[in-house]
Amino acid sequence: MTNLAVSPPQKVERSENEILTGLQQTVSASRLTLFLQCRLKFYYRYVLKLPKPKPASLHVGNVVHATLKAWHKARWIGTPLTLKGLHDEFSKAWDDQNKEEPVDWQGEEEDERLTAWRLCELYYRQSGFEHAEKPDAVEVPVETDLSSHGLPRLIGVLDLVQQRKIIDYKTSSTTPNSEKVAHTHEVQTSIYAILFREAASIREEGIELHHLVKLKNPKLCITQLPPMTDSQQNRLFHLLEAYLEGIDRKDFVPSPGMGCASCEFFNECRHWN
Amino acid sequence: MAVRLSANYSKKLGLPQYSSHSFSASVEVELTDLNQVESECQKLYQLLQQSVDQEIQQVGFVPDPKQYGQKGSSSGLRNGFHRNGNNQNGRQFRVHNGSQDRWACTDGQRGFILRITNENNLDKQEIEALAHRLYGLGVKHLNKMQASQLIEELLTLAGKPRQSRWHQQPQQQAA
Ligand code: SF4
Repeated sequence: MTNLAVSPPQKVERSENEILTGLQQTVSASRLTLFLQCRLKFYYRYVLKLPKPKPASLHVGNVVHATLKAWHKARWIGTPLTLKGLHDEFSKAWDDQNKEEPVDWQGEEEDERLTAWRLCELYYRQSGFEHAEKPDAVEVPVETDLSSHGLPRLIGVLDLVQQRKIIDYKTSSTTPNSEKVAHTHEVQTSIYAILFREAASIREEGIELHHLVKLKNPKLCITQLPPMTDSQQNRLFHLLEAYLEGIDRKDFVPSPGMGCASCEFFNECRHWN
Repeated sequence: MAVRLSANYSKKLGLPQYSSHSFSASVEVELTDLNQVESECQKLYQLLQQSVDQEIQQVGFVPDPKQYGQKGSSSGLRNGFHRNGNNQNGRQFRVHNGSQDRWACTDGQRGFILRITNENNLDKQEIEALAHRLYGLGVKHLNKMQASQLIEELLTLAGKPRQSRWHQQPQQQAA
């Protein structure tokens, strides 16, 4: 990534049109996925930026990512963490996240904390990474300019690249359906493949989705996907075009459906017309 | 029929100030029989590697960064990063146009690495060592992904790590 200043930038209020222009210039997997899922939700989150309390699940996901990052970094520099070391990293990440943006736990913090730790411990024991196997990258920000295709700049952060395999870990409350996962995550995996190819000047060996499932007995589900195909890249480019055109038209209609059950903008949406 | 076997061994090592030196040696031998190829390769590899390793330890002339490139026209410093004449305790980079200063990452990344280093008084030799530790390569030879990783590490070293990035998908946290 090249455009971040060392000193924190001054916060400048931007007009809606400026925000929309920015959203057309730079796209991430989560932005595009949300736009395709529900344009109104996208509008509330990225354009109006309506403030919402941080949900516990986000805190858990952040802490798990931070802990796994510390573990992979330690493996990389040849000082692998013991389980105790991993727990220290976990505790630090939990406190840091609490300081960064507190959650209203409503008395559930200890339960959530235990759930999060069990996911980290499970991953440590079951993911099968050899301590001696060096990663190619750990939580690395990458970007690529697709303007030669008339498309925006793509940005993203790769959780882990190991022997040319792009690995993305997720926390989830339900077991993913391995048949459907390739389809439901195709936007993200295609974007990551493009980003990796551009940044490393080689083709990925494959893509793996590592779902850490928050069950009573937590589970790790690894979905292995082949490298992105040309037709997947075409599909992604069409979706990016639709995204640009939709923003141009200010097309922010709601998409009522199953996803509404967990939508943080449900109340605002009920007043939309 | 005589069989000719030629072997070459070369090694490139990073030096302070993001420079490097390399040495290569080659040898050609004649064999009487193809069955000798495998054992001869083994022998030659060992011989060449030992010889190159022995010689490459002599780093020879390494320019003083405070002096090097000071003379002559200022155009030689076009790509250099200056901070209002403050020489940052002698740690200022001087980057010259020329093939030996071509970096594998983007110009923006190169500028960013130099800027973080200079502004935070980071030790360039340590950064070079860090790049070697992570990738077995000098800073200049890192590709875009590797340079981005190095930038992350430098920001952490400078006490300015970037914020976590999983703030966007509360239902299923993704990076
Ligand atoms: S409630 Fe449903 S339709 Fe409304 S913004 Fe949320 S996801 Fe979209």
